[in-house]
Amino acid sequence: MISLLGFVSLRHLARHRLRTALTLCGIVLGVAAITAIGMVNRTVLQSFQRTIDLVAGKAVLQVTNGESGVKESVFPVVRDAPGVAAAAASVEGFLPMTEFPGERLFLLGVDFLTDAFLRDHQFAGGALERERGLDFIAPADSIALTESLARRLGLALGARVALTTAEGVKRYTVRALLKEEGTARAFGGNIALMDLPVAQLALGKWGKLDTVDLTVEQGQDIEALRRRLADRLGGAAQVERPSKRGEQVESLIASFRVGLFFVSLVALFVGVFLIYNTVSVSVVQRRREIGILRCLGTARGQIMKLFLFEALALGLAGALGGLLAGVLLAKAALGAVTQTIGNLFFHIDASGTSLSWREVGLGLGGGIGVAVIAALQPAWEAARIGPAESARQEPWRKDARRFSRLALAALSLLAVAPLVWFFSPGHFTPVQKFSAGMTSMFLFLLGVCLLSPLITLLASGAILRALRAGFCVSARLACDGLARNPVRSGMTVSTLMISLAAIFTVAVLVHSVRVSLLSWVDQMVSADLVVHSSAPTAGSLNVPLKEEIGAAFKEIPGVKLVDFYRLIRSTYQGKPILIESFSARAARAVRSLPMVAGDGQETLRRMAAGEGVVVSESFESKFGKGRGDTLELPTPSGAVSFRILGVYVDYSSDAGSVLLDRALYSKLWGDRLVDAFDLWLEPGADRDAVIREIKEKYGERYQLFVNTHAELKQAVVGIMEQSFRVNYAVEVIAVIVAIFSVINTLIASVLDRTREIGVLRAIGATEGQLKAIFVLEAAGMGLLGGLLGLIAGTIMSYQHVVYNTKVLTGWTFQYSYPPGVAAACVLLTVALCLIVAYAPARRAAQLNIVKAIAYE
Amino acid sequence: MIRLLDVHKVYGQGSNEVTALAGVSLEIARGDFVSIIGPSGSGKSTLLHLIGGLDRPTRGDVLIDGRIISRLPDRDLTRFRRAKIGFVFQFFNLLPLLTARENVMLPLVLDGRGRAEAAARANALLERVGLGGRAEHTPDQLSGGEMQRVAIARALAFSPSILLADEPTGNLDSKSGEAVLDLIRRVNREERCTVVMVTHNERAARYAGRIVYLSDGTIVGAPSSR
Repeated sequence: MISLLGFVSLRHLARHRLRTALTLCGIVLGVAAITAIGMVNRTVLQSFQRTIDLVAGKAVLQVTNGESGVKESVFPVVRDAPGVAAAAASVEGFLPMTEFPGERLFLLGVDFLTDAFLRDHQFAGGALERERGLDFIAPADSIALTESLARRLGLALGARVALTTAEGVKRYTVRALLKEEGTARAFGGNIALMDLPVAQLALGKWGKLDTVDLTVEQGQDIEALRRRLADRLGGAAQVERPSKRGEQVESLIASFRVGLFFVSLVALFVGVFLIYNTVSVSVVQRRREIGILRCLGTARGQIMKLFLFEALALGLAGALGGLLAGVLLAKAALGAVTQTIGNLFFHIDASGTSLSWREVGLGLGGGIGVAVIAALQPAWEAARIGPAESARQEPWRKDARRFSRLALAALSLLAVAPLVWFFSPGHFTPVQKFSAGMTSMFLFLLGVCLLSPLITLLASGAILRALRAGFCVSARLACDGLARNPVRSGMTVSTLMISLAAIFTVAVLVHSVRVSLLSWVDQMVSADLVVHSSAPTAGSLNVPLKEEIGAAFKEIPGVKLVDFYRLIRSTYQGKPILIESFSARAARAVRSLPMVAGDGQETLRRMAAGEGVVVSESFESKFGKGRGDTLELPTPSGAVSFRILGVYVDYSSDAGSVLLDRALYSKLWGDRLVDAFDLWLEPGADRDAVIREIKEKYGERYQLFVNTHAELKQAVVGIMEQSFRVNYAVEVIAVIVAIFSVINTLIASVLDRTREIGVLRAIGATEGQLKAIFVLEAAGMGLLGGLLGLIAGTIMSYQHVVYNTKVLTGWTFQYSYPPGVAAACVLLTVALCLIVAYAPARRAAQLNIVKAIAYE
Repeated sequence: MIRLLDVHKVYGQGSNEVTALAGVSLEIARGDFVSIIGPSGSGKSTLLHLIGGLDRPTRGDVLIDGRIISRLPDRDLTRFRRAKIGFVFQFFNLLPLLTARENVMLPLVLDGRGRAEAAARANALLERVGLGGRAEHTPDQLSGGEMQRVAIARALAFSPSILLADEPTGNLDSKSGEAVLDLIRRVNREERCTVVMVTHNERAARYAGRIVYLSDGTIVGAPSSR
C-alpha cells in the first residue's frame, strides 16, 4: 500500500499542486482555528488560576465576599479561631497609573508585619526587616513596585507615582522594589504593594478587607476548619480554598468559552466539505487510472485504502501546519479575548500562551479525523470502479439513485435537527442545552448541505431552460458546468452556504443584541450625563469614587438630580453574580425599570420602600428564583434574606444580577462608593456648560469620563461589538476555506472541460469569452451558496438568538433582522467568487488549443 | 493560397525533444482538396494545426493568402481563424448542451452576430448538409454521421476559404464516412473552398485531388493528383 501511495498518489498530488495546496491550506486554517480557540480558552482560565495562586501565596483557605468585602472585625475572629496557624488580611484592586496611559496596577494592600507568613515578598536589597519595614509604613504614601515595572517606566527608588484612586489622583513614593518572585509575578509584574490602611484609602475600602488568607495548624482537617469558620462568620463571608475561586471564574466565562468553541467548529466543518470535494474530484479524474490499477490486479479494498491514505496524509500534513498556525493565531487572538474579558468580566494577565498536549490531540485528531471522514464516501465510490473503466472516457454521470439517497438523508437530518433541541432533557445545564441547540443547528446545516447537489441541479436546469430563448452561450455553458457535476458544485455551494450561514447568524445576533441593548440603555440609563472615573463605562475598568463628589455635581447650575450607581461582584450559592444599586427613591421620577413582567414604576416604588430587590432574567434562569421568591445574600453584615419584587431586563452580565435600592445597599454593605454618577439636567440647561464645569473642576483630579446619553450608548455598543470580534475572525476563516473550495471546483471544471475549451477556441471564441464562462460559473455557485446560506442563516439565527442565547445566558433578545446585512452577505459572496474565479478562468483561456483538443 | 516555408515543429526540450515536423515546405492553391496521409506520429495533425493557426512552428513560416499567420498575436489569430478557417474534428466536438442549430450558430454568436441572423444562417447550412429536419436535436439524439455533418455545417458558418478536417471519418462506419466525404468534396467544388484533410485511410484520401505523404515529419514521395 505504501509503495502504491508513493507510486501513484504522491505523483497525483504533485501534479495537481494548486489543488493540493488549497486543500492543505483549508485543513491548516480549520485546525488552526480550533487549536487557537482551545489555547486561548485554556490560557485565560490558567492565567486567572495562576494569579489567584500567586496572590494567595501559601494560604490554604481564604475568607472573601466578592467585592462586597468583609468587615475588619472579621479578621481577629478568623485569626484567633482554633486550628488557624497564621492569618493575613488584604485589600486589592486595580488602579490606573495617571501619568502612564493604559497602565494599570494591581494594588495589594497588606499588613507588612504579618503578611510574610503567607506571601513570599522578595525585596531588592534584602528582606524588609523590622526597621526598614517601619520606614516603609511610617509615611502614608509608600508604595512598592516590581523591579521590572520600575525599570520599564523609568521609576527609581524615591520616585513619585500618581494613581487614580477613590479619592482622586494621589501621589505615592516608591520606597521599595520587589524582585519578580512569588506574588510579584502576578499580572506580568504590574503589581504594587502598599501598607493596608494606605491601600484601603486608595481603594475606598476603609474599614473593609477583601481577603483574609490563612494557613492551618499541622494535622488540622482543612474541610472541617472551613465549615467551622463559615458557621462562625454567619454568612458575612465565604470560606473557600483558593482553587474554588478559579472554578467560580470558570463558570463566569463559561458561556463566552462555549460560544467560541462552537464558532471554531464551523471552520473545521467547512473543511470537511473542502476535503470531500478534493477527493471526489480526484476520484472522477482518476477513473481511468483506477480502472487500470484494477486491471493490474489491485483489489477494491486496496483502492479504498489508497484514497483514505491520501486523505490521511493530507490531513496529517494539514493538521501539523494547523497546529503551528494555531499557536500564531492564538497569540494574536489572546489580546482581543483578554480585552473582551477585561471589559465584560475581570482583569486577567494572559501575556503568553503555549500549546498543550490536549490541543495537539484535538488539532491532530480534528485534522486527520475530518480528512478521513470526508474521504470515506469518495473512497468508497473509487473502490466501486471496475476494470472496464480504464477504457471509458466519460466523466461522472448523473445518478438518480444517488440523488434520491442524498435527498432522503437530507430530509431525515432536517427532520431530526429540531427534535434534538426540542427534546433535550429538562435537567440539562445551560451549557448542555446550548450544546444541544448548536448540535441541532449543525444537523440542520448538514441536511441543507446534502440537499444542495439536488438544488444545484434543479436551479442550473431551470436557468438553462430560461436562457435557451436568449442563446447566451457563456451563461449556458456556465450553468452546464454546474449541472454536469452537481455533487461537486453542490458541495462547493455547501461550503459557501455554511460559512455564510455562520457569519449571518453571528451578524443577526450582533444586530439583535445591539437593538435590544440600545433600547435597554434608553430605559435603564435615562440620565442626560453619566460620569465615571478612569473608564467610559461602569465595569471592571472604572475606579469607584466617593459619594461626596456627587454632592458637588448637584451644586452645578443646570443639574436637577444626581443619582449614584454602584456595581459590585458578589456570589450567590457559591456562584458569581453582580449586585447593582441606585436610589430608587430619588430617581423614580426620572427612571423607568425595563421589566420582563410587571410594572417598572410600581417595582421602583416598592424598592424605594425597602420591600425587597429585583433580579435579572439571567439570575432567574440560572438560579430558578423569580418574583415572589426570597433569596439570601452574603453581606458584610451577615447573610440577609430579600424578597424578590420582580424580574428586570439586564444585559450587564449573564452571571445574573440583583438590583436594590442604594439606601438599603449602603446600610447592609457599609459601602458608599459610586461607580457612576447619573445626572439629570433642568429643562433648557446648557449641557455643554455642565460638562465643561465638571471637567474643569474635577476632571483631572478624578480622571473623569463624562458621557452624554448618546456617547454612553456608543460605548456600550462598542464593548458589545468588540466581544464578537474573535467570532467574526473565526468565521472569516470559514469563508476563506469555502473560497478555496470554489477555486478547487473551478480548477476541476476547467480540467473536465479542457477539450470543450479547445474546440471553442478553435472555432473562434476569444480568451475573454472563455473567461466569462468560468467567472459566470463561479458567480452561479456564489449566488446559490449565498441564497442558501441566507435562508439557512435566517433559520439558524432565529434559533440562535431566541433559543441558544437564551438558554446559555438567560438573556432575552428581541430578534431583529438586518435586511441590509442580508443583501450585503449575498452580494459579497458572489463578489468573492467572481474575484477568485479569475485565476482558473485565465488558466482556461490560456490553455494550449492543440493539447486541449487532444485531451482525454 | 496556403504556403509553408521550411516549417519545423519540435516538442519538448533537451533530451526530451521530439521533432514532429522537420522542414516541411508545401504550397496549396486556392480551391485545392489535399489529403495528408502518413503513419501515426508522422506529423499530419501537427501540420494541420499549424495551417489552422492553432499552434505555431518552432522555425519557418506559415502564410495564408500572403499573410504570415505564424507571427500574429493571439487576438488577431483568433479573428483570422474565425474568418478564414473551418475545423472538422474526428470526435465531432459538438457541445452536448446545444441543439444542432445552436452548435452551428455558435461561431457566429461568438463573433457577435445577431441571434436572428445566426439562426437563419445555421438553418441554411443545416439544409445544405441535409439535416434541416434535425435542427432541434441535441448531439446525443444524432448518429455519428449526423454529428459530423453538423460539425461540417458549423465549420462553414463564416464561409471560410479553408476547411481543415482531422480524421473526419475516423469515428464513423464506412457508409456514414462516405457520406461525410461526399459532403466535403461538394463543399470543395461548389464553394471553391480549399480543403486540407488528414487521414489514415487511403480510400478516404483518394477523395482529394492531391495526396501528400508524410513520414517522420517530412514530405516523402511525389505528390500525386487525380
